[in-house]
Amino acid sequence: MQSGYILLATIAVPLFAAVALLFVPSRHKDAIRAFSVAVGFALFGLSLYAFFAYQLSQVEQYQFDMRWMWIENVGILGENGITLHLGIDGIGAAMLLLTGIVTFAGTLISAKIDYRNKDYFILLFLLVAGVFGVFASLDLFFWFFFYELAVLPMYLLIAVWGSSSVFSTFARTKEYSAMKLTMVLVGASVLIFIGIFAVFVEAGLGTFDLPTLYEVEFDENFQKIIFPLFMLGCGVLAGLWPFHTWSPDGHVAAPTAVSMLHAGVLMKLGAFGIIRLGMQLLPEGAEFWMPVLIILGTINVLYGAISAMAQTDFKYMVGYSSVSHMGYVLMGLATMNAVGVNGAVLQMFSHGVMTALMFAMVGSLYDQAHTRELAAFGGLVKRMPHFVAFFSIAGLASLGLPGFSGFVAEFNIFLGVFRTYPALGALGILGAAITAVYILRMMARAFFGPENDKWESLQDLSRVEYAGGAVLIAFIILMGVYPSPFVDRIADSVLRIPGIG
Amino acid sequence: MNMTDAWLLPLLPAAAFVALTLLGPWLPRKGDWLAVGAIATVFVMVLLIAADFTDALAAHGEEFAGAANSTQWLEVPGQLELRLGVHVDATTIVMLTVVSFVALMVQVYSLGYMKGDSRYGWYYAVISLFVASMLALVLADNFLLLYFAWELVGVCSYLLIGHYNHLRSAAEAAKKAFITTRLGDVGLLIAIILLWRATGTFNIQEVIAAAEAGEVGREVLTASVVLLFLGAMGKSAQFPFHVWLPDAMEGPTPVSALIHAATMVVAGVYLVTRTLPLFQLVHGGPELILAVGLLTTFMSATMGLVMTDIKKVIAYSTINSLGLMFVALGVGAPAAAMLYLFTHAFFKALLFLGAGSVIHATERQDVSSLGGLWSKMPITCVTFAVGALSMAGLPILAGFWAKDEILVALLDNKAAFALAMATVPLTAMYMARVLILTFFGDPKEPESHEHAHEGSPFIFVPLVLLAVLTVFAGFVAFDQVGELMGFPGGIGEIIFLGHPHAFHFDWNVAIGSSALVLAGLAAGWFAWAARPSVPGVCLSMLRPVHALFANKYYLDDIYQAAIDRVVLSIARLVAWFDRNAVNDTGIDGGGYTAKFAGYLMKFQQTGKMPNYALGMVIGVVALTLVAFTLKG
Repeated sequence: MQSGYILLATIAVPLFAAVALLFVPSRHKDAIRAFSVAVGFALFGLSLYAFFAYQLSQVEQYQFDMRWMWIENVGILGENGITLHLGIDGIGAAMLLLTGIVTFAGTLISAKIDYRNKDYFILLFLLVAGVFGVFASLDLFFWFFFYELAVLPMYLLIAVWGSSSVFSTFARTKEYSAMKLTMVLVGASVLIFIGIFAVFVEAGLGTFDLPTLYEVEFDENFQKIIFPLFMLGCGVLAGLWPFHTWSPDGHVAAPTAVSMLHAGVLMKLGAFGIIRLGMQLLPEGAEFWMPVLIILGTINVLYGAISAMAQTDFKYMVGYSSVSHMGYVLMGLATMNAVGVNGAVLQMFSHGVMTALMFAMVGSLYDQAHTRELAAFGGLVKRMPHFVAFFSIAGLASLGLPGFSGFVAEFNIFLGVFRTYPALGALGILGAAITAVYILRMMARAFFGPENDKWESLQDLSRVEYAGGAVLIAFIILMGVYPSPFVDRIADSVLRIPGIG
Repeated sequence: MNMTDAWLLPLLPAAAFVALTLLGPWLPRKGDWLAVGAIATVFVMVLLIAADFTDALAAHGEEFAGAANSTQWLEVPGQLELRLGVHVDATTIVMLTVVSFVALMVQVYSLGYMKGDSRYGWYYAVISLFVASMLALVLADNFLLLYFAWELVGVCSYLLIGHYNHLRSAAEAAKKAFITTRLGDVGLLIAIILLWRATGTFNIQEVIAAAEAGEVGREVLTASVVLLFLGAMGKSAQFPFHVWLPDAMEGPTPVSALIHAATMVVAGVYLVTRTLPLFQLVHGGPELILAVGLLTTFMSATMGLVMTDIKKVIAYSTINSLGLMFVALGVGAPAAAMLYLFTHAFFKALLFLGAGSVIHATERQDVSSLGGLWSKMPITCVTFAVGALSMAGLPILAGFWAKDEILVALLDNKAAFALAMATVPLTAMYMARVLILTFFGDPKEPESHEHAHEGSPFIFVPLVLLAVLTVFAGFVAFDQVGELMGFPGGIGEIIFLGHPHAFHFDWNVAIGSSALVLAGLAAGWFAWAARPSVPGVCLSMLRPVHALFANKYYLDDIYQAAIDRVVLSIARLVAWFDRNAVNDTGIDGGGYTAKFAGYLMKFQQTGKMPNYALGMVIGVVALTLVAFTLKG
């Protein structure tokens, strides 16, 4: 049985959890922890259900379709003016599952948080509600509403629970990083906002309903002018070069679970927006601008990987690797062919679980050692074998090792890119080799070799960290070995995007 | 057991890997019996499949192309279908036999050698995955599965080379092996995708058929073949990618045996054998293989001559052999290459396991601290000698038949023949050197010599078995031997890829090469046993040459400098640019601009009435003027 209430629940459960937490006295820290993890688990269950209940043979594009009227036939709004219209296609299903997984793992990891953990979880659940909302919304107004809801709690989460970094040549305070992240993302969302209103006015139907707007054939020049607004506006959240610098600084400053959610899920909102708003609404605009996007994406891949190689800090390295990996998503989208876009969506999922795992592991180390300096470590494998195993799995997945999710995704992207731009495809593959260099350097330096006596007191992963990591790894391997459940859902929806050949 | 059931082969050790990884600590004996049981079963199954194959070959005759079986893995409807499948033909059978047998020997040997290791269970888990990957690689009917397995082989070797991970050197060696081979893999992956783009399929047979039908453009095919070869060069440690292989000696010795004889470095040879028709379609393709092979085989022989670590000498001998296999492929004699690969597997595994036995007994691996071990370890000494002489190419040992087959194939190319012949005495000489310095003469460290002894049966039984095979394996070249063993038409039919009468024996070549081998051995005996002062004299006369060889032609240093000076400098530059130009100037600049604009604007807020009144007057006048101008 399919019901739109599932999607509503993924949004309502975290919202109600946030409200419920308001009434819990903040001294009951353990109760708050237990409650939050339970909510995370419930969301994981809901998203897993939605993913597997998604019917592969269904004719219509959006499933779990449900609509709640909010405003219609008032002023400029006509029929179905603004409605809470929820529904997912295969792409949404995969993204929903990703959000559920990372949220669950994130709440587990966040059990470590002690300072004002009630406030922390309230903000975290607001953010999560926003993310679920974006992936499930089929109404431009609510899409944007949830988009902003997902971005804004970041500021407080980073500025209050984050950490500042000081290096010999430069320093980044958490306040600076939080401010930059928020300002850049809000600035970019202004472009999306303008785009949304332009589409609303140009269509002249008085509705923000996406499926209705998808039927409209917009003027070609209009499409060419408006598409870049979506491409840049959403692209910035996906880490598009040269507007990516909020990402490494922000992710480094953020507390562990927030980095996991942000790099793991929020950056995907950007790529998702390029599909939902850009490619689906304005296919001709997309076709016109995609050559630009693929070049920017290629720069992302190489520039991010090369920058990551020079980092001396664990978390900065992971942050720049996200910039690099999101470049593959952009490249895949920009191919405008089914294989490449399919690969891009796979990569969105794959990078989400993989980078969440990496940030979780970095957090585990930092909480104990209070430094993230790569050169300060060595021989960690002796004291922290599970930590090293988990981190290595994330690392090997990110360098595209077959058997892990990264390979399936990147392979599809490369095939797609090679169809139209062989030279850029070759550069993309080179990027994977550079990734191998910095990942393996990091592993050899910090994990292996003689043990550094300074770190005798380090403990291996705690039980919650182990559980969170294991959930993420399960999906990294599932997609790497048996990608069909993902591809079957995604490919079918990708083929329905107009202009995909 | 049918050929089409061959997909089971990699799954067995893979299942052992999963079981050992998840349940390892709770299994009795850490689960080693599971791993050994899996590979033993695989070996039996391989024999059954080989029997099925020879039956089919007898039934269908020479046109029999092999059996295939595949299943869908991933599909984008109408656009892309990725399949995983197996293909069994003569080449596959040879490879399967080699891989499963050597792996079985190594795993049994490890029961003794690795006993008491702190990560014993993990060792057996990874080695199982290693074998599973290699089996999948040789069975793959398409490039996708081949690449999949190819990379897994790479990561398993990474894990095993770095097994003693508390050593900085092991961690660095593992990293070096993985990165070096992966650079080659970039080429392989691009080649696979280019070929897919041109032919629309990943299936190896179909790609070759399409290329032969001229469906692939000349430039694309040339590029693909060169890039494909890069991948093979990386894995098979061909010059200039060979630098990782000697360093890979940091791993446990049984692992070295496995990597060198069966599961890693021969993958490149296998890949080129499989895709040889593609190379032959490209102008200069075979010549490229030949040139790289010759250069590699000659340079490795010179380096092997000066190494003092027993394992490193054997490692260079492997590069030497691999070069020779590529030479054979380059002149279009894949059968000779496969015969060499087949026999090489036995004597190379034997050499490494013999070296391991020495290391196990003495805890020394530098020949300058060994010596005189024959009296303490007679079994190891005799079996190692058999391996070394086979590597040198002494008649009737397995290596002799294979090496001569390659030399015969080279007869048409005088320059290549001469260079290959020149390498023969060099090889014999350094094999004699390592044999003499390890087992004969006076012990250089009497204390460790005193404690040396033969290991457990787990260690010496595989040595004896491999030594026996090293003596006799070459005879498979003769059909009568195969028929005696119950294969209709002889084993040569399989080894020679279905061309039963491809074995060429040339008395002139045999006599010539044997003379050179004997000369090399004699020179080795003279220099290191009869007149031990000779090497010192030579050293003082040829110091620069010795330094060149001992420093591996300085390639390691050049690479290291390129990474430290060039690559990392560029990376730091980019990171600096990102921080200072993109972020602090670009992004923050936007913020500062807004802030500065606000700063300028605030002066409008003077709080004085006359200023505001003046502003209003100017505004009204300006608007009026604009209105009139527009109207007029």
